[in-house]
Amino acid sequence: MAKPKVSTDWMCGCAGCHMSLLDMDERILQVLELADLRSSPITDLKEPDKSGVDVGVLEGGINNTANEEVARKFRQRSKILVALGDCAVFGGVPALRNFCGIQAALQRAYVDAESNEPGSQIPNDPELATMTKTRAIHEVVPVDYNVPGCPPDADIIFYVLSELAQGRKPELKDDLLHWD
Amino acid sequence: MIQLTINGKQIEAQEGMTVLAAAKQAGINIPTLCAQKELVPFGGCRLCIVEVQGFRVPISACTLPVSNGMVINTETETLKKSRKFILSMLFSERNHFCPFCQVSGGDCDLQNAALHEEMTYWPMQPAWNNYPVDSSHPYFILDNHRCILCRRCVRACAELVGNFTLAVAERGASSLIVADTNVPLGESTCIKCGTCVQSCPTGAMIDRTSAYQGHERAMTRIKTVCVGCSVGCGLNLVVHDNRIVRIEGDWDGVVNHGLLCEHGRYDPMQNTHDRITTPLMRKHGKLEPVTWDEALGEVADKLKPLAGRQQSGLAAIASSRLPVEALSMFKEIFADGFKSRMVTSTEEGMPTAVLNTVAEKTGAFEGKLDVLRNADTVLCIGANIAKTHMVAGFLVKRALPKGMHLIQVSPEAGPLDEFADVTLNNKPGSDLTLVNGLQAVIVKEGLGRTPLALLDAESVIAKALQATGLDAEALTYAARILAHAVSPVILFGKGITAQRDEKLVEALISLAALVGAVDKERAGLLSLKGEANSAAAALFGLDEQFTLDGQKAVYVVLGDDFASPHLLQKLEKAPYLVVQASYISALTEKADVVLPVALWSEQAGHYISMDGRVQKAEQAIHAPEGVRASSAVLAEVAMRMNMPVKQDWQPGIHERKSSVVLSTN
Repeated sequence: MAKPKVSTDWMCGCAGCHMSLLDMDERILQVLELADLRSSPITDLKEPDKSGVDVGVLEGGINNTANEEVARKFRQRSKILVALGDCAVFGGVPALRNFCGIQAALQRAYVDAESNEPGSQIPNDPELATMTKTRAIHEVVPVDYNVPGCPPDADIIFYVLSELAQGRKPELKDDLLHWD
Repeated sequence: MIQLTINGKQIEAQEGMTVLAAAKQAGINIPTLCAQKELVPFGGCRLCIVEVQGFRVPISACTLPVSNGMVINTETETLKKSRKFILSMLFSERNHFCPFCQVSGGDCDLQNAALHEEMTYWPMQPAWNNYPVDSSHPYFILDNHRCILCRRCVRACAELVGNFTLAVAERGASSLIVADTNVPLGESTCIKCGTCVQSCPTGAMIDRTSAYQGHERAMTRIKTVCVGCSVGCGLNLVVHDNRIVRIEGDWDGVVNHGLLCEHGRYDPMQNTHDRITTPLMRKHGKLEPVTWDEALGEVADKLKPLAGRQQSGLAAIASSRLPVEALSMFKEIFADGFKSRMVTSTEEGMPTAVLNTVAEKTGAFEGKLDVLRNADTVLCIGANIAKTHMVAGFLVKRALPKGMHLIQVSPEAGPLDEFADVTLNNKPGSDLTLVNGLQAVIVKEGLGRTPLALLDAESVIAKALQATGLDAEALTYAARILAHAVSPVILFGKGITAQRDEKLVEALISLAALVGAVDKERAGLLSLKGEANSAAAALFGLDEQFTLDGQKAVYVVLGDDFASPHLLQKLEKAPYLVVQASYISALTEKADVVLPVALWSEQAGHYISMDGRVQKAEQAIHAPEGVRASSAVLAEVAMRMNMPVKQDWQPGIHERKSSVVLSTN
C-alpha cells in the first residue's frame, strides 16, 4: 500500500503554525515514514497533486481571491481537509480587519501610518488578488478537522498528522484541546 | 427534605433549593456561566439546562426549585448538543478571539465551558459588530466585545454592593453594559469597589494592574485579612514572584463574602510611597544610613535611662494598623516595662475609649456585623458608611430597595441622605439630647419594648428639639420608624465615640433595648471603630489622648501607617524621636532614629475586627533585604534594654472589659 499523501499550504496567516509543525523536531522523521509529503510552502512542490492527496492541511484564513483559489483547490484535491491554527479555524488575528473594513485597513496601512513616506498610495496593480472579508476556511469550503491554537502545540500537530497517516480519526480533547 | 433523582442517583435536598444547588451538593456538576454565589439566579446563559421528566422543554437548573419525585437528566446526548449550540451562539455574538485575551488559557469561564464540551471551532462566524471599549476608569477597562451579557457585574453592583451603577442598555444584539445613563465609567457613580471585575467570567472586565501578568496556574493564592479598616474583610491575594499581582475578596470570607471596597482592593496596589530599606540615624543634623546594630544600640542607650520615670520620661505611640502581636509587645515594653505614663495609639482612643469605660459597667453590648444581613431598619448615627467601613455600608445600601428603612443622623449632609427615610442633621454636640428625645417619643407613644421610666417625656422632647435644631415632625417620624421595626440595628461611628461621652453611649444602649435592637436573641448595636486593630489597641488600654508634656523621648511604632497632621503637630517639639516605619514620611524626616519595618502583607499577625472577630492575617510576600517585622524590632529593643517580653498576646486581650464579644470567626 502506498503511503498516504499529505499536502500543506498557508494563506492569510503568519506561518507560525508551520513553525510549530517543525517544532515536533525529530518526530517529523516518524511522520515522513508514515506519510508521503507531497507539497508545502517549505519544500519544493507547491501544489497538491492533480490526482489528489489523502490529507490537505491549510494554515491561515482567507482574505483575498488568491486564498479562495487555494482553499478550493485543496478541498477539491484532498480527501481529508485539516484547518490548522486559529486563523484557519476562526479567522484569527487578521479577522479583526472585519471590524473596520478593507478600505479603512488599507488606508491606515499604506497611507496614514506614521512610518509611511509622504505620497504613499494603496497598491492597485491589476495583478494583485482582490481583497475580501477575512473568513475562516469553513466559511468557504467544508473542513473535516479543526485544530485550534495560536499556534497549536507541536505535540498536537504530531498527534493529528500521525493519526491521519495511520487511517485513524484524531480526537482533540482533554490535554490535546486548548485554545492558548 | 425533598427527594429527587438526578442522573439515576437518588438525592435529598432542602425545600427552596434550586436543582443546580441540589446537584452540586450531591457532587453532580452542571455547567453554568451566569450563576454566581449569593446572586439571585438569572437564567440568562441557558447553559445549565436540564431535562426534567414530564417537562415539555429543557429548563435552566439555576432557576428551578426542587420538588418531590423530580426525575432529572443532565447528560443526555440532546443536552450535550444543545450546550455546544448555546456556546456557539455565545461565541458568534461578539469578538471572542482568544489568542490575545488576558484570561485565555484557563482563566476564562466561557473558554473553559467550550473546552469542557470538546468544541474545536465555531460553526457560526461573528457578525463583526463594533462595540464600545470603555477605558475611562482608573482601575479597569470594559471591553464589550468580550461580554456574554451574563449580567453578573450588573447584578453584583446591585445585589451585593447596593450601588446600582451598572445596567444593560439597548436590546437584543445591541445590548451593552453601561454605567448610569451611558456615561463613561470614570465619570459615573461607580465607587470603585471592583466587585464587578471580580465577578466577570470572561475577559470583558480587564483589571489594569494585573492583566497579562500570567495565568492563574502560575500564581500562588494566599487567603488573608484586609487591614484597611476595622471591618476585617477576607482577602484572596494573587501573588507571584514576591509581588502582589491582584487583591481579590475571598468569596468564602465570613465577614465580607467576597466584597471589598476601593481602600482594600486598589489602594494597596498604588505604589505612591518610598520604602525605607535601611536603619537611619541623625548625624550632624542629617539622617544617615547605619547598621541595625548601631541603630538599636543607640536606641537602647538613649532610652534605657528613661525607664520608670513618670516625669521627663518616655512616651510611646503605636499605630492601630499593627497586628495584635506587635501591639501586645508594645504595651508590655512601654506600659508595663518602662512604666511610661503616656502609652497610646495613633488613634488616641478616639473610636474606642468610651466603649471600654462603658463596658466596665455593662459588660459587652455590641453585636456582630452579620446582624445587618437580616435588619429591616438601620439607625446610622455619627458614621458615614458611604465613605468609611464601606463594606458594612454595602450591607445597608443593598437592602434599601428591598424596603430597609434608614435613619441617617449626622451634623453634616451625606451621600446616603437621599436614600434615607429621614435625615436628621442635628447641631454638633447635641447627640445625647437627640437620642434621649427619640426615647422620649417612643415612651410617650407607648411603643417601647422595655420598661423605661421617663418622668417627663415632653420636656425631654422639648429639650431635644431645642438643642438639635430639628423639628418635631422629623424626630417623631424617626422614632416611630425605629419603634415599629421588627429587626432594627443601631450603627454608630467616630461622630459619637470621639465625644468620649459615656452618657451618650449608655443612651444608645438604652435606645437599642427600647426598640428591640438588643434583646436575648439579637445584638443589633454596632460601632464601626476605626483602623484594622482599633479594637485590639483599646483592649491593651492604648487610648489616651497624646500630650508631650515634658517627656524626653517619644517612641513611635508606625509600621506601614502615616502620622496625621494633628499628631505631627503634637510631636513637633519631641526632644528625641525614634520611629519604626515602612515608608518615608513627614514623621520619619523629623526622627532621630528610623528603623525600617515590614508592610501588612510582609508579616503574619492577628487582627480584632470591629465586631470582635480575632482573625489571622497571613504573610503573602517577603520584606526587602534589611527590613524587619515590627514585632521582631520591638523584641530586639526590649532585649537590649534587659526588659523581658512574653511572646504570647492571648492573655492580654482578655484583661480589659470589651464592648464586643471576642470570637474566632
